[in-house]
Amino acid sequence: MANDKSDVWQGTLALMVLKTLEAMGELHGYGIARRIEQTSGDLLSVNYGTLYPALLKLEQEGYISSEWGVSDNNRKAKFYKLTRAGRKQLEKEAREWEQTTAILARFLAPGEVSR
Amino acid sequence: MSAMRAWFVRLGGLFGKERRDRELAEELESHLQFHIEDNLRAGMTPVEARRQALIKLGGVEQTKENYRDHHGFPWLESLLQDIRFGLRTLRKNPGFVIVAVLTLALGIGANSTIFSWINSTVFNPIPGVKHANEYAVLSTHAERDQTTISYRDYVDLRDRNQTFSTILAADPTPLSIKTKDKPERAWGLWVSENYFDALGVRPILGRGFLPSEDTQPGGALVAVISYHFWQTNFGGEQSVLGQTIEINRHPFEIVGVAPREFVGTQTGLSYDLWIPVKMIGALYGESLNPLEKRDENWFVCTGRLRPGVTVAQAQADLNVLMRQIVAQFPDDHRGDFTVTVSPLWRAPFGANFQLHTILFLLLAISGVVLLLACANVANLLLVRSFSRAHEMAIRLSLGATRWRLVRQSLVESLILSSFGGGIAMLFTLWTAGTLGTFVPPTAEVPLSITVRADRTVFVATFIVSVFTAIIFGILPALRSSRQQPARVLQEGTRRASGSTRKARLSSALVVAQFAMSLLLLVCAGLFIRSARMAEQFNPGFNPHHVLLYEYIFAGLAYDERSGNEFDRRLFDKLQEIGGAESATLSDFVPLSYQVQTQLIQAEGYVPQAHESMNLTFANVGPDFLRTLQIPLVAGREFTASDNGDSRFVAIVNTAFANRYWPHMDAVGKQIRTKWHSFTVVGVAENIDYDTLGQRSDPFVYLPLFQQFSGNGAILVRVPGDPLAAATAVQDAVHSIDADLPLFNLSTLDSRIALRTATQRIAGVFVGGLGVVALLLASIGIYGVLAYTTRQRTQEIGVRMALGAQPRSVLLLVLSQGLKLAILGLAVGLLVSLVLTRALSTVLFGVSPADPLTFVAVVGVLVAAVLLACWIPARRASRVDPMVALRYE
Repeated sequence: MANDKSDVWQGTLALMVLKTLEAMGELHGYGIARRIEQTSGDLLSVNYGTLYPALLKLEQEGYISSEWGVSDNNRKAKFYKLTRAGRKQLEKEAREWEQTTAILARFLAPGEVSR
Repeated sequence: MSAMRAWFVRLGGLFGKERRDRELAEELESHLQFHIEDNLRAGMTPVEARRQALIKLGGVEQTKENYRDHHGFPWLESLLQDIRFGLRTLRKNPGFVIVAVLTLALGIGANSTIFSWINSTVFNPIPGVKHANEYAVLSTHAERDQTTISYRDYVDLRDRNQTFSTILAADPTPLSIKTKDKPERAWGLWVSENYFDALGVRPILGRGFLPSEDTQPGGALVAVISYHFWQTNFGGEQSVLGQTIEINRHPFEIVGVAPREFVGTQTGLSYDLWIPVKMIGALYGESLNPLEKRDENWFVCTGRLRPGVTVAQAQADLNVLMRQIVAQFPDDHRGDFTVTVSPLWRAPFGANFQLHTILFLLLAISGVVLLLACANVANLLLVRSFSRAHEMAIRLSLGATRWRLVRQSLVESLILSSFGGGIAMLFTLWTAGTLGTFVPPTAEVPLSITVRADRTVFVATFIVSVFTAIIFGILPALRSSRQQPARVLQEGTRRASGSTRKARLSSALVVAQFAMSLLLLVCAGLFIRSARMAEQFNPGFNPHHVLLYEYIFAGLAYDERSGNEFDRRLFDKLQEIGGAESATLSDFVPLSYQVQTQLIQAEGYVPQAHESMNLTFANVGPDFLRTLQIPLVAGREFTASDNGDSRFVAIVNTAFANRYWPHMDAVGKQIRTKWHSFTVVGVAENIDYDTLGQRSDPFVYLPLFQQFSGNGAILVRVPGDPLAAATAVQDAVHSIDADLPLFNLSTLDSRIALRTATQRIAGVFVGGLGVVALLLASIGIYGVLAYTTRQRTQEIGVRMALGAQPRSVLLLVLSQGLKLAILGLAVGLLVSLVLTRALSTVLFGVSPADPLTFVAVVGVLVAAVLLACWIPARRASRVDPMVALRYE
C-alpha cells in the first residue's frame, strides 16, 4: 500500500511546510504532516522522521518560530508559525518553483524537444 | 544570510544539549499521542493504534540522531571530544609530552628562525615597498664581476625599453653633513628624480622629487631625509620641512621625510638621505659630474617590470637596446656590457648577494633537522602505542571505526605539535633578531639587517606545525589502529602482538635518524671548518694588530692643496706615536666593499677590441705596504718625498705586471690615467682587494701625496691591542685640525670578520643543529633499545637461567644496537657524499668531501651509539633470572 504513495521529494518538504503554515497559522508537527498528506489527496507520504530535522532547520534559518502550547484536546504540543522572513522566503521559493515547473512543462510539451 | 544565521545558531547548539534532547523527546511523544488518537478515532484497537503510529514515525532513536545532526556540528563535537580525551591521556604522560614537545619545538624553531631571516631579506628585500617581487635589478659585466651602469645608458634604457614600467637609478655615497655645529658623516643615495614614485613610497612629510629636479642642473638643492635622521637630528619636529642642512658645505633644503620602514633600495643597507642626481655637479664640481659621461658607471638601476613580463623577457629586451648603445658609442663601452636582470632576492648588490644562497641551504638543513625530530617523536609514539594496544583493541571491539582511532591519534599528534610550534614561535621572536648580531658593527657601510618575526612567519610556523603532526603522526596512528582485537585481548598482559613488526618500523626509523644526523653533523663539521679557514685565511696582507680610523674632508674648508698639506702633516705626526711599528694613510682599505676604478693605460700594451682598461686603484701614503705587510717583489715603496713636487710614480701588483708586461721588467715602465703619467717604481705582491681568495685582478697604487683624495683612512700597526692607540691617533689629528671629524674606529681584523659573516652564521647555526641532531639520534637509539630489551626480559631471563653469561647478554644487546647504527651510518655516508656537493659554492677553503670532517663525525657518532646502547645492554646483563621468570 505504501508503495503507491510517493515520498516527499528532497527540498520540497520545506516549501510544503511553509505553505501549510501560511494557510493554517499556528500548527504542531503532527498537524503539519497530516495536513500535507491530506492536501496531496493522500498521494504523498511524509516520513515523520525527516519532518522534525526539517522543522529544526527552518527554525534555525529564522523562517519559522516555535512555542510550546496546548492543543484543542488539551494536549501539550510544540506549535510552529511562520515568521516575516518565512513569508518572504515562501514567496521566493514559490516563484522559483513555478518557474521550474513552467520550464519543465515546456520541455515536456509534445513536439517541442523531440525534434 | 539565512545560511549564516543557521550556522551561528548551530554553533550555539554545541551547548545546552541535554535540554534540547529532552524537548525533542517530549515533542515526539506528543506527536505519537496525536497520531494514536487519530488512529483510535479511525476505529483501531488501542494496541493496533499505537503500533501503526510507531511504524509511521519510524525509529525514534534514528530521528533523534538525525535531529542532533542538524543541531550543532557533530564532527566538531566529536573533535572537541577527541581533543579533551587527547589532553587527558597526554596529561598522564608528562615525561613523554615534555620530550616530544621540546623535540618538535627545536625542529620547528630551527625552521621558523631561518624562515624569518629569509622572509625579511629575500621575500621583503626592500622594506616599505609593496610588490617588491615585481622589481628587478639591472647589472652589466663591464668591469669586475657585476657592475653598475652609466647615467646616460640608464636614461636610454629607461626611456626606450618595452618591458619595465619604470626604472630608477641610485648611487650610494658617504657625505659630510652639518646640521648644527660639527660635521658628521652620513650615507646618502644619489637618485634619479623618479625614485620615490617608482617605488610607490610616499614621504610621510613633504614630498619626493619633482621631474624638474632631474632636468635642471644648477637649480635649488633639495634632499629627502630618512625617518631615523629626522628623529635624531630634528627630534621629529614637523618644522623640519624647509630647513637647511649643509651637505659637503652646500646648503640643501629638506623637502621630505621618508616613511619609517623605508631605508633605501639595497637590502641590508640603510641610508640617511636621498639627493637628486642632478645635484652631483654642484657638490663635486662639474669635472667629476658623471651624468653626461657614458664611461662613468656609477648607478645601481632597479626597475619595476610591467605586468606579465618575466625577468628573462626583460633581459632580452634590454640587451637589444644595450647592443645598439654599445654599437653607437663603442669607445665608452669597453668590456662586456651584457645586461643581467636579477630579481631583487638575488640582486648582485646588497645583503642578499651574500645571504640568499646560504639562507636557502640553512633552510634545507633545518628541514632535515625537523624530519629527524619527526622520526624521534614518531618512535616515541610507536613505543607508546605498544602499551596502548589494549585500549585500542577494546575500543575497536566496542565498535569504534578504524578512522575514528586514526583521528584520535592524529589529534594527539596535533596537540603535541601545536605546543611545539607555540614554543618555537616564542623562540623565533628572539632568534629572528640574531641574524644582525653575526654582522660586526661597522659604520663603514650603512649595514642594517633587521629581522622581525611578523605575521607571515607566524602563519608559516603554524602550517609547518600542522604538517609536522601529520608526518610524525600518520605512521604510528595507522599502525596502532591496525589491531586484531581478539588476539590482543587474548594475549592479555603479554601484549606481544605485532611487536616484531612494530619493532621493525622503529628500527627503520632509527636507521633513518642515524643517516640524517650523520648528514647534519657532516654539514656542521664542514661549516665549522670553513668558518675557521675563513678566519685564519691569509689575505695576502697581515690584518692583525692594525688600527683603522677614517676621516673625510668634504664639508670642510679643504681644497686639494690644503688637503695634501694636511695629509703630509698628519703622516709626520703619526710617525711620532709611541709604540707604533708603522703608520700610514690611504683612501683604500682592503676587503672593505669599496674599490675605485679608472681608465689606466699601460705603456706599450694594446687592449683587445672590447677589453676594458677600467682598472682598480688606490691612493696610498708612504709605508702602506710596510704597514699592511704586503711583500714588495721589485723596486721600492712610496716615501714622503713622493709628493707634488717630485715626478709622478706608481706601484703595480704582480697581476698587473704579468698581464700587461709579461716577461718584462715593470719597474721603469709608464702608466697613464686621464690626467697624468706615472713611472712605475715598484711591484707589490697581489692581495685580496675586494673578495676573499680572489686576487688575480690588476691593481695600481698611486701616491696619496700626489693624488689628493677627499677621504682617508689612518692605518697604524702596533704590537698589542690596536684600539689602545686610538687616543694617540685622535690627538695627532686634532693637533692639526681640532674640528676634523674622525669616523669608524675599528681594526682591520673586523673588516675581514664582515667578509666572513656568512661563514660564521653557517658555522654557528649548523654547528648548533649538529649537536641537536646528535642528541636526537642518541635518544632515539636508546629509546628503541631500552624498549626492546624490556620486551625481551623474559627471554633474557631464560637464557641466563640456562647458563648464559652476563657478558654474552651484554654483547647480544649491544650488537643489536650497533647493527642499526652501522646501517644508518652507511646510508648516511652515501647520502652525505652526494648532498654535500651542493655546499661547494658556500664553503671556504674546505672540500665538501673533507676526509677529516667525515672521520671525526663518524667517530663522534659511534661513541654516542656505544654510550646510548651501553645503558640498556648493561641493564639486560643484570637481569635476575628468577625475577624475570616469576614476572611471567
